[in-house]
Amino acid sequence: MKFIGIVGTNATKSTNRQLLQFMQKHFSSRAEIEICEIKGLPAFNQPEDRVAPEGIQVLSDKVEAADGVIIATPEYDHTVPAPLKSVLEWLSYTSRPFIDKPVMIVGASYGALGSSRAQGHLRQILDAPELKARVMPSEEFLLGHSLQAFDDNGDLVYEDKVTELEECFDQFLQFVDITNQLIKNHSFQAEQNKNFSWEKASEGGNN
Amino acid sequence: MKFIGIVGTNAAKSYNRMLLQFMKKHFSDKAEIEILELTDVPMFDESDDQSDSDIIQMFNKKISEADGVIIATPEHNHSVPSALNSILEWMSFNLHPFDGKPVMIVGASLHPQGSSRAQLHLRQILDAPGVNATVMPGSEFLLGQAQKAFDENGDLKSEGTVDFLDSCFTKFQRFTEIANLLNVPEDLNFKPGTFEVTAKGHNGDLPMSVTLSKDRIEDIDIDTSTETQGIADVVFSRIPQEIVNGQTLNVDVISGASITSHGVIDGVARAVKMAGGNPEILKKRPKASNIVQKDEEYTTDVVVVGAGGAGLAAAAKVLDEDKKVIIAEKFPSPGGNTVRAGGPMNAADPEWQNTFDAIPGEAHRLKEIKDMKLDDIDPEYRDDFQELQKQIGEYLGSDGKYLFDSKLLFRIQTYLGGKRTDLQGNEIHGQYDLVKILTDHALESVKWLEKVGVSFDKNEVAMPVGALWRRGHKPMGPEGFAYIQALQKYVEDNGGKLMTETPVKELIIEDGKVCGVIARGANGQKITIHAESVVLASGGYGANTKMLKKYNTYWTEIDDDIQTSNSPAITGDGIKLGLSAGADLVGMGFSQMMPVSDPETGELFTGVQVPPANFIMVNQQGKRFVNEYGSRDQLTQAAIDNGSLFYLIADDGIKDTAYNTSQEKLDAQVKAGTLFRDDTLEGLAKQLKMDPEVLVDTIKKYNSYVDAGSDPEFGKDVFDLKAVKAPFYATPRKPAVHHTMGGLKIDTGTHVLNKDGKVIDGLYAAGEVAGGLHAGNRLGGNSLADIFTFGRIAGENSVEDKQRVEQND
Ligand SMILES: Cc1cc2nc3c(=O)[nH]c(=O)nc-3n(C[C@H](O)[C@H](O)[C@H](O)COP(=O)(O)OP(=O)(O)OC[C@H]3O[C@@H](n4cnc5c(N)ncnc54)[C@H](O)[C@@H]3O)c2cc1C
Ligand SMILES: Cc1cc2nc3c(=O)[nH]c(=O)nc-3n(C[C@H](O)[C@H](O)[C@H](O)COP(=O)(O)O)c2cc1C
Ligand SMILES: Cc1cc2nc3c(=O)[nH]c(=O)nc-3n(C[C@H](O)[C@H](O)[C@H](O)COP(=O)(O)O)c2cc1C
Repeated sequence: MKFIGIVGTNATKSTNRQLLQFMQKHFSSRAEIEICEIKGLPAFNQPEDRVAPEGIQVLSDKVEAADGVIIATPEYDHTVPAPLKSVLEWLSYTSRPFIDKPVMIVGASYGALGSSRAQGHLRQILDAPELKARVMPSEEFLLGHSLQAFDDNGDLVYEDKVTELEECFDQFLQFVDITNQLIKNHSFQAEQNKNFSWEKASEGGNN
Repeated sequence: MKFIGIVGTNAAKSYNRMLLQFMKKHFSDKAEIEILELTDVPMFDESDDQSDSDIIQMFNKKISEADGVIIATPEHNHSVPSALNSILEWMSFNLHPFDGKPVMIVGASLHPQGSSRAQLHLRQILDAPGVNATVMPGSEFLLGQAQKAFDENGDLKSEGTVDFLDSCFTKFQRFTEIANLLNVPEDLNFKPGTFEVTAKGHNGDLPMSVTLSKDRIEDIDIDTSTETQGIADVVFSRIPQEIVNGQTLNVDVISGASITSHGVIDGVARAVKMAGGNPEILKKRPKASNIVQKDEEYTTDVVVVGAGGAGLAAAAKVLDEDKKVIIAEKFPSPGGNTVRAGGPMNAADPEWQNTFDAIPGEAHRLKEIKDMKLDDIDPEYRDDFQELQKQIGEYLGSDGKYLFDSKLLFRIQTYLGGKRTDLQGNEIHGQYDLVKILTDHALESVKWLEKVGVSFDKNEVAMPVGALWRRGHKPMGPEGFAYIQALQKYVEDNGGKLMTETPVKELIIEDGKVCGVIARGANGQKITIHAESVVLASGGYGANTKMLKKYNTYWTEIDDDIQTSNSPAITGDGIKLGLSAGADLVGMGFSQMMPVSDPETGELFTGVQVPPANFIMVNQQGKRFVNEYGSRDQLTQAAIDNGSLFYLIADDGIKDTAYNTSQEKLDAQVKAGTLFRDDTLEGLAKQLKMDPEVLVDTIKKYNSYVDAGSDPEFGKDVFDLKAVKAPFYATPRKPAVHHTMGGLKIDTGTHVLNKDGKVIDGLYAAGEVAGGLHAGNRLGGNSLADIFTFGRIAGENSVEDKQRVEQND
């Protein structure tokens, strides 16, 4: 299977990036994970022409081609960082590659809670009509105290967390399989979401 | 009442903007609402702090000053737009203007229930500790189907909607009054007395005594003896003053000395607690320095950018010529990298050096130069080189037992030491005319400094780290600070004006002539300085990783999180200013790394400082990877090739050889986690996450090389201690940026040259900001010689060029 992992921040130092790098290495025999950065992508500004800037289009194509997407999000002010949200806005506003895409959410934070509030928001966001991703339900992987979590080789030092992550990832592999079977018969709704518009929705259309 | 309204999107067309505009108009008799737009707010980036930028400062100021804030949020993907997140992140990162601020949330959306989810998210965000706004509960104002809601005048059509908005707004006005009562400072009462506390300083404990009366902080007295002079001084004068004047603990830490700053603030907080007060109240009080000041304008003869060694020397020279000078310095205290310098400055002074005995190895070094082939010397240096070979021949022939030196040896060593080839095969060596000026005039600089008030230790001729010869003149007194202290006093005593916390942002250029600078003052005011000439002396760009990476052609890799030994002020500002006037650059791809620096801070003088004879360098796998006596460049590249981080392994014996250490200091470092210690090598390896077998094998082999007196693996040839006696130590090290050789192209008169090699009228540059002299590698001790020699020339010429022109007129 081929996944992409999106680093949910533009910071040069990020434990969420480290988490994805660890996953890439640790699960290399079971899936290929390509890590995608969002640093330097333009800020969303809702242009009239609805054309994605180049970097966004590149990312969009990668999401489109992947069997599934892993998003690692930090938590800023109890929510998802602006740079990640901006990318999701672009994708929802232009090519909408997330529709029906299996997604696993993970997150690392310095404090004890491990970005739980940001993950909650991210689920709601990914459920919006123009994103409509298939987010793996119930499982959430939260890595608290992330500054102390990795050794110099980039390995996760908390053993129980490694086990938990392995279980989550197993589930995600199954979830991707099941989802892809499920959505085979879903092309009508998917098409609806591709064409969704808030203008029409407000008129009671769009169903 | 005065409110700020924030349009929660950067879209060109927005119903939320219309809603705020309607509110502004509709409520104009009740309150003033000023609308702020997000269009120019940069995307939040933790690693590129722009809290100081004009736009972020503007938001901070307006929000701080307002009675309350109204946020109108669209809903994007069930949440608030990223543009709104971004400004809230900036307003919760280093600045916190929302703290305790009354906020009303409104939202317009296309959908009938639109923006309800976004409003909920926004409430959660505003409640996060970094934001900590006081959001009005209830009264959700949601404007659904916004595309139908406004008439052509931008007024809300539905009377019912307007009525509801009226009631929400009235409630918000009352809410604002009440919520702001919570922001009125609480009274504090102390048990009067003088309280002794110790705070954490940069170099250890800072004992201080704080005197409190019934309701005031009266006096703060700090024992400053352990802190680094020059860097921390300003903390001791300014922070206590701000605390006492403002009766607040909400004071800005001082850039470049933040640890000491926090130490002082925490110490006072502890005393307040001991006296039964609540320091949190003091931390919440308004800042003493938050008064906005009027713009300022000055006129002078010469303005100098940067008060490091080069800048102060230039200013002193201007004053010697009876002209006026202003020095604009970015940081709160002068000194830049110069105060950090180890001290000795190179100058060939054979008369003095000859009074010292030669030491083993020196004759050999001279012989090596004598045996070099002329073909290996670049043509412009050949005459000097042959002359030097003659001098060496005579010295060696006379069987001299004294320390030899000459201007020519200084010149050729500076040239040879600076010669490098980058990754693209470009060769660089010191520009002859600049090297000649340096080596001919460095001794005059020493003599001049003596006149200014620096005294040198004549009993010792030093060889600075990274130098090739013993020709270092070492000042008495504390290292680099000795120069700055004397020069600052000289400049101030002779009427020079030093303006600290005044970073220069722009050059004033009229008709191709540079005639002044524009800077920003400590309180955000614009400072314009008109002058006949401008001397750039703002240092290099060692603390600007982006810039280093942009120009680098020498190192295979520079980490994003590389540390530096430099002052954080040294960000290449002068080079950018020069470029704005069309200056040419030279040698920008070459930077110097200090291979054995603290991985967390980039500092040189932490860890266990011992000569390389006494430790074993191992990589993260526990294997040796280089001759510990390699040159800086060899060590650095070897470290980069091995993942940058490496360790110095030593045994219990080091505490007798390390000149900066004692058992106490070792214990403190182990406790702080900056030094690893274990009773066995296996245990040490485990702590370092190495394979114990590998490390044990490495050390076993190394010990056998010490016994044999030779190292077949890496050719180390000077040995002292083995690693045999427990406990064993490992000091983590990593290369850090130390010096930037590249910079503005100048001629021997320090005039900045443009791309056509022509002088840019009115612009001079001296010190690390200029390039061409040190080329690919700066020798230890040569910088100080450089900055005081070229700094003096810049000061002289910035005055004399002008006089010459006037005479010719
Ligand atoms: C830890 C350390 C040890 C060293 N040891 C030695 C040694 O032993 N011997 C030796 O010869 N060399 C040594 N060097 C190198 C030497 O110290 C520097 O190259 C030299 O001091 C540079 O002097 P300067 O006057 O050009 O710049 P600096 O001394 O760095 O001064 C530049 C000044 O400009 C200010 N500035 C920057 N931007 C602006 C702006 N926009 N507006 C206004 N002001 C601005 C800065 O705040 C600073 O005060 C050492 C360097 C370091 C970092
Ligand atoms: C502006 C800002 C706001 C933050 N707010 C929160 C927060 O509300 N909750 C939290 O746990 N951490 C918060 N943090 C800390 C980040 O969560 C922490 O840096 C991140 O989760 C760790 O992931 P990273 O290493 O990938 O950046 C904030 C950081 C910044 C820069
Ligand atoms: C990327 C994007 C995502 C959107 N998501 C939502 C949404 O989740 N819910 C909604 O009601 N409107 C959504 N909209 C439509 C409108 O932008 C929204 O109703 C908005 O609040 C209108 O306010 P404005 O005119 O001030 O932008 C979305 C628009 C964009 C561009």
